[in-house]
Amino acid sequence: MLFFEDQDSITTAAEGRVEGIAKVTGKGKYAAEYTVENVCYGALVGSTIAAGSIQAIDVTNAKQVKGVLDVLTHQNKPLVPGFADETKIKESRFGLPVFHTDKIFFKGQPIAIVVAETLEDATYAASLVEVTYTTEKFVVDFREAQASTPLSMAGKERGSMEAWSDAQNIVEAEYNIAAEVHNPMEMHATIAHWISQDKLKLYDKNQGVNNVQRTFARLFDIPTDNIEVISEFVGGGFGSGLRVWPHVLATILAARQVNRPVKLMLTRPQMFTAVGYRPQSWQKIKLAADKDGKFLGLLHQAQHSTSVYENFNEGITRIARLVYSIDNLKTESSIVPLNLSTPTWMRGPGDCTGDFAIESAIDELSYVLKKDPVELRMKNLSLEKSPDTGLPWSTNYINECIEKGAARIQWSERKALPGQVKEGDWNIGYGMAVGMWNAGRGNASAAIQMQKDGSLTVQTAMTDIGTGTGTAMQNIASEITGISKQKIKIELGNSTLPPAPSQGGSTGLSSISGAIVAVSKALKQKLADYASVQDEVYKNATTEDIILSESHLSFKTNGNHAIAYTSLWETHNLNVLEVEASSGPGEERQKYSFCSSAAHFCKVRVNSKTGKVKIDRMVCVADGGKIVNAQAAANQMSGAAIGGIGMTLMEEQKVDARVGGLIGNDFAGYHFAVNADAPLIEVDFIHKPDPNINPTGSKGLGEVGIIGCAAAIANAIYNATGKRLRDLPITPDKILLA
Amino acid sequence: MKTEHLYSRRFFLKTAAAFTALAALPSTVKAFYQEVKNFIVPAKQTLPLVVTINKKEYQLSADTRTTLLDLLRENLQLTGTKKGCDHGQCGACTVHVDGERVLSCLTLAAMLPGKKVTTIEGLAVGDKLHPMQQAFIECDGFQCGYCTPGQIMSAVACVKEGHTRSVAEIKEFMSGNLCRCGAYNGIVESIQKVAR
Repeated sequence: MLFFEDQDSITTAAEGRVEGIAKVTGKGKYAAEYTVENVCYGALVGSTIAAGSIQAIDVTNAKQVKGVLDVLTHQNKPLVPGFADETKIKESRFGLPVFHTDKIFFKGQPIAIVVAETLEDATYAASLVEVTYTTEKFVVDFREAQASTPLSMAGKERGSMEAWSDAQNIVEAEYNIAAEVHNPMEMHATIAHWISQDKLKLYDKNQGVNNVQRTFARLFDIPTDNIEVISEFVGGGFGSGLRVWPHVLATILAARQVNRPVKLMLTRPQMFTAVGYRPQSWQKIKLAADKDGKFLGLLHQAQHSTSVYENFNEGITRIARLVYSIDNLKTESSIVPLNLSTPTWMRGPGDCTGDFAIESAIDELSYVLKKDPVELRMKNLSLEKSPDTGLPWSTNYINECIEKGAARIQWSERKALPGQVKEGDWNIGYGMAVGMWNAGRGNASAAIQMQKDGSLTVQTAMTDIGTGTGTAMQNIASEITGISKQKIKIELGNSTLPPAPSQGGSTGLSSISGAIVAVSKALKQKLADYASVQDEVYKNATTEDIILSESHLSFKTNGNHAIAYTSLWETHNLNVLEVEASSGPGEERQKYSFCSSAAHFCKVRVNSKTGKVKIDRMVCVADGGKIVNAQAAANQMSGAAIGGIGMTLMEEQKVDARVGGLIGNDFAGYHFAVNADAPLIEVDFIHKPDPNINPTGSKGLGEVGIIGCAAAIANAIYNATGKRLRDLPITPDKILLA
Repeated sequence: MKTEHLYSRRFFLKTAAAFTALAALPSTVKAFYQEVKNFIVPAKQTLPLVVTINKKEYQLSADTRTTLLDLLRENLQLTGTKKGCDHGQCGACTVHVDGERVLSCLTLAAMLPGKKVTTIEGLAVGDKLHPMQQAFIECDGFQCGYCTPGQIMSAVACVKEGHTRSVAEIKEFMSGNLCRCGAYNGIVESIQKVAR
């Protein structure tokens, strides 16, 4: 296949991303930035209690504010057909039936939206809405509530727990991770515009326009095509845009009520309760090995928080079944309902959390066994087949990731015993861990429109949340058609374009790349079909036989037989040549298991007086199959590592159990890694295509970039100091007190 | 311009008078109610404003509460300047005021007369990108692009300030601009490229 011939041929280092100029000039339009005539502004009012119900809402003062058009509450909202009764609310699976209940489930729950002429008017008026409540007892303390939900089996037990009950080399420990918040830099925003009674246009921040479109078509009982969702530029997601959230519906209802387009941008504090977060979690690991280091058994228990109005389970113990071959395995889990908003998938959901516990325990076991942690892992990897499904891996190069990473960071410099290297007040150490992720793929469609000047427009509904989807589309289309990248325009993030799955779970590129290959080939075939009318040689030509240039198509062999596009267009009276194609997973999914993987290595220094951790070096090597765009892929990997640094050292959504709500819910209170918190991340790839996953051989990288980072850093801290930290984030106080 | 302090001695006297009157004279409730209401819900104030943004002079009438950030985004459709927190905690709204980097979310529009504002839209000259914009494209100094205008405005200032002697120094002086995608590698490289 063309793609596999020269693996490093496709890179856009020279010209950058397809949307680069729009992003560096500020011209790219994010959801809240479209000019919509007659637009007015919404501001949400959140509940000030954590549990109970609304007794009364007084909007008198709010309505006195000049410029206020209306205030929507559960008492005067336009009815949503999909929320007509309790049964329908349940069936809608929307989560919070915003403005359709007087019940309060968490502090900050949207209970009103003020609509006004200006943002200032709306914001001020929202502060004047007065609510009286009937309060009820709330539960927000995860640790306290843990006992309320007993553990139950998460997946099938393998072997037995008794088989390794007398194991000599054993590690048993508990791990806690604070709730983390996605906090993409663009706050979620929506402009809702009812074009007519049953036609809706939404400019919205999300990670899947078709999902948003379907959700509201169902809720309002209108045809899907009547809803257009536009999300051309998305200022980051990390999972927060995979669900459709209450504030979007609130904006749509407000627009219906005032009969004007309404714009709502969440405030940063609202971002902490409105669009999900990684749940707080507890884990227990029991891991044993024989004297040679072969794993004998693993018990993995996990609990994480959810809300009282929805069950969200991210599957923390899934990773226990993915990486290593372990004969005796038991996984148990449960979710703990709290009076907080519903958590959701956040980068590397479940696996990222579970991986921290398992990879920390393996490191701990390596010291018990007096074996190198790299060697210990190598010995136990399940390289041939998925330990869970039993199907052979299509490709799994996690061992090569480990080898390459170890060489790059000079793992041989690491001391086998902790606390051996000091520079003044600083203790220096090395750590490593691996990450893995099931490599999925969905059905995706794409279209190409070709003009007679040889220029192409490649289209899909899929969003580009910063991963470089558009650039990858351009690269692939250029590679297959032969048309230069300069002549290929990309259109995406609009529900009127050919449908595509949401961009999540590292499936974006894997899904869309197949569609781009298919549609590019369809274009060549269609041109050949038209050409065959003018020249017999094109009859029965395959896409491999055709070469496209800037102005002509020609035949690869058999002389040249060039035909100008202008001539084709004239002969067939064409305006635009349009082709569409779809592609998705097939029977290969029954034959193989698929995974992306990564190995993370770091060198840290820990200050013995202040407890500060500085990461000197971080090396991440990933198996992402064929790397379509090396620069964007490396960027995504290093970005994920920086997310991992935040998760390990600083990110923590604090909950105040007295008031039943969040504290520090802004960037002064919630820290993630700034530029100075991270070294220049060193990234490398295995560069081996997966021949079965999709036509390009590329596997997603978004998740594996972060899975494993936390354990790598914590393990390095142990190597530096001899202190084993099992609670994230590892803040200086925890190090000093350990 | 006429200014009135809301919480003056007169405020209390007037409010007290109004309440006394309400209690004593039910027939005049309506007239006094309006008086009282104006203190509970202060009326919006606007002021005329002449500002220079990207070398263009604007004659505006702005709400006194309006920040430079909202003025740019909501009133002038200069949406290149981004809102990431509205609290001076993220740097996404960084612009230049008289050549210095400034957080537009912490700057009231009313503070602008006599000052020259440059936003990301004013950085390129015609179709020719500023070297920092070019460097960000070449070094892939972004992913989602939302913090990018603020990063670029800060980066230009960082070079001008001379804080580019080492990777560590660049990182320190660019740490007021958060990037959740974590494109810090490319941001540092872009600055190094321009500073050379």
